[in-house]
Amino acid sequence: MNMLVIGCSHHVADAAFRERVAFAPDQVSGFLDSYYEKYPDSEALLLSTCNRTELYVLSEQAEAVPSRGDLIQLLSSRHGIAAEELDSSLYAHQDAEAVSHLFSVSSSLDSMVVGESQIVSQVKQAYEMAIDARPKAPLIHRTFDAAIRVAKRVSTETKIHENRVSVPSVAINVLAKQIFERFDNKKILVLGAGEMAEETLTYLKAAGASQITVANRTHERAVSLAEKFDGQTAQWSELTNQLAQADLVVSTTGAKEPIVDVASFAPVMKARGQKMLFVLDLAIPRDFDDRIGQQFEDVYLYSLDDLQRECERNMSSRKNHWPKARKIVADETESFFRDTRRRASGSTIAQLKKQANSIKDDELKRLLNRLESTSDKDREQIEKSFHRLVNKILHPPLESIREESATDQSDPKPVGLLEAMKRLFQLE
Amino acid sequence: MHWLAKISITCFAASYMVVLAVELVRLYFPRSAVRSTIKVGFAVAGFFAHTVFLYHHTNLSFGQSGLWLGSWFGWSLAGAWLLAAAYLWLVFQKFNSSTGLFLLPMILSLIGWGVWVGSDSLFTADREKTIWSMVHGFSLLLGTAAVALGFVFGVMYLVHARRIKSKTLPAPGQFRLPSLEWLRLQAERSVLVSAIFFGLGLLSGIALNLSTTSEGIVIPWKNPVIWSSAALFGWLIFTCLGSKFYRPTRNGRKVAMLVLLSFLFLVIELGIAWWFGHGTGASS
Repeated sequence: MNMLVIGCSHHVADAAFRERVAFAPDQVSGFLDSYYEKYPDSEALLLSTCNRTELYVLSEQAEAVPSRGDLIQLLSSRHGIAAEELDSSLYAHQDAEAVSHLFSVSSSLDSMVVGESQIVSQVKQAYEMAIDARPKAPLIHRTFDAAIRVAKRVSTETKIHENRVSVPSVAINVLAKQIFERFDNKKILVLGAGEMAEETLTYLKAAGASQITVANRTHERAVSLAEKFDGQTAQWSELTNQLAQADLVVSTTGAKEPIVDVASFAPVMKARGQKMLFVLDLAIPRDFDDRIGQQFEDVYLYSLDDLQRECERNMSSRKNHWPKARKIVADETESFFRDTRRRASGSTIAQLKKQANSIKDDELKRLLNRLESTSDKDREQIEKSFHRLVNKILHPPLESIREESATDQSDPKPVGLLEAMKRLFQLE
Repeated sequence: MHWLAKISITCFAASYMVVLAVELVRLYFPRSAVRSTIKVGFAVAGFFAHTVFLYHHTNLSFGQSGLWLGSWFGWSLAGAWLLAAAYLWLVFQKFNSSTGLFLLPMILSLIGWGVWVGSDSLFTADREKTIWSMVHGFSLLLGTAAVALGFVFGVMYLVHARRIKSKTLPAPGQFRLPSLEWLRLQAERSVLVSAIFFGLGLLSGIALNLSTTSEGIVIPWKNPVIWSSAALFGWLIFTCLGSKFYRPTRNGRKVAMLVLLSFLFLVIELGIAWWFGHGTGASS
């Protein structure tokens, strides 16, 4: 099997370049159609996420796989980016390296946030789109089924997915859960309606939060976000009243100055009657004066910096599981190619046996036609002799092929003997 | 069954010490499956040995004049057994939490105290096997265990609240504690349960005195054990009502402080009972 992957990721390209080469989901099918028009004898899969765009091409015949230059031309014409620019910015991996890279990608070892679980869903989605574009794609099936299996192994056999590493997930799943046992009976107040607010609400909703109130200076945006999470809205002017009722405040506004200082918070605490309050200040600059957390005993105030420290600690903890995950990827890559070689040699062996038996049958038939007076017992002996002769002649070369296909090299083409056999015996 | 007699205090006390050691190791090293298995295995084994020990000695004492559980020794071991049962429940309820760091020293202290005090009887032999004395003894035992448990939840709350406040959370897998909300709830429940059982203990104690006095209804209020028990019960009722109806005391930190004070009163009460003697007629 021959495989080539070409693409770019957060490792080699900045967000601006990644955006230029990215494909929206509705563009993938059109691109694959144009690919198959030019290279019909290969199989292709396009993986495009916010952190990477990669084109995987596969074929049993080496000559059917387009070259790196061909693929750059194709992408260049598609995106209107100069081929030279793409050539200097895109990486390429071939065969064993390509498979190893795919396995690393699917198991999130190559992700920006190592251990994130989203990538395997994105690989599955790309796989589905590739199959929609060309339903009969045996190499894609085999390779991407293996990639998903590897991702599952890494997930279950290592702890690389444990310990949250994104700020909103740490804020909710690590910190808020140290304070609250359940979220369905908690009043959640979200200040701001941007991306951070939305992502944090996603985790809160997953944790069971149901009493959500969104307040934003631009009320329309608050309405839009609240609708998305079955929440309600509050006017910005009601801020003090809302703070007095909330159990958990997520603040993500883009205000240039703190929106709540010690003086304005004092009446809030009085109205709360010493009820505990957890404030997640995810804004830069901060929305809550840092002294609030120090002056009020029942207020737990965490800023972005505090959360970032937790994220970094979790990230370094995940890295401890890297060697084990890497070993799984290496073992699976080796196993994948062993299997690929076994399949390839199995097919050649079958063809060789078929050809030899066909010659044997023809020769046997001709001989027996000439020896009409031979008894049945003698005919049987002759047939057995022919059969043994063919087996004995084929045995050494077939054993050599089997031995070669069972080697542990992660090269898809340690099949020198196989190729020689095909040429010597003129097999297809 | 002679093998029951072979189970000694050392068996279960040593098991609990191993569990405590495993919990201590976790302060410095992340959680591991092997250590978790050792922890659960020794906790279950210790609890089993503890149960068998209590069963065997209580069973033996039924044929004798004094009930074994009626002694300070038996009573302390029974209290430790209740706390060990609570620990096992916590292990399965909050598997990743280091609750043993707080509860196991309490269990081991009770065992140690029981051994130190020895087999002094809490009751005179004629009173031990009456129904009222049994209700009285078991109610106070359950009430004591509930206060001790509340104390543990209160301490955990204060430690955890301090850590969150100072933003010094442990590394992943190390020294985890249940959420503040859960700890507050358990502390409140402990106070409620202890108030119920101490109330029952106090009433049954009064009933015990009523039934044994030939000169009419006489309650020896001047007895330090009686008035200190009544004071403890009053305090528990106050704590219950306060945490239920008075908003400022519903604050988790205040609930924690109240259960800590309850435990202090309990220790004083037990000290008085031990010093002056209780139910043996020593002071009356």
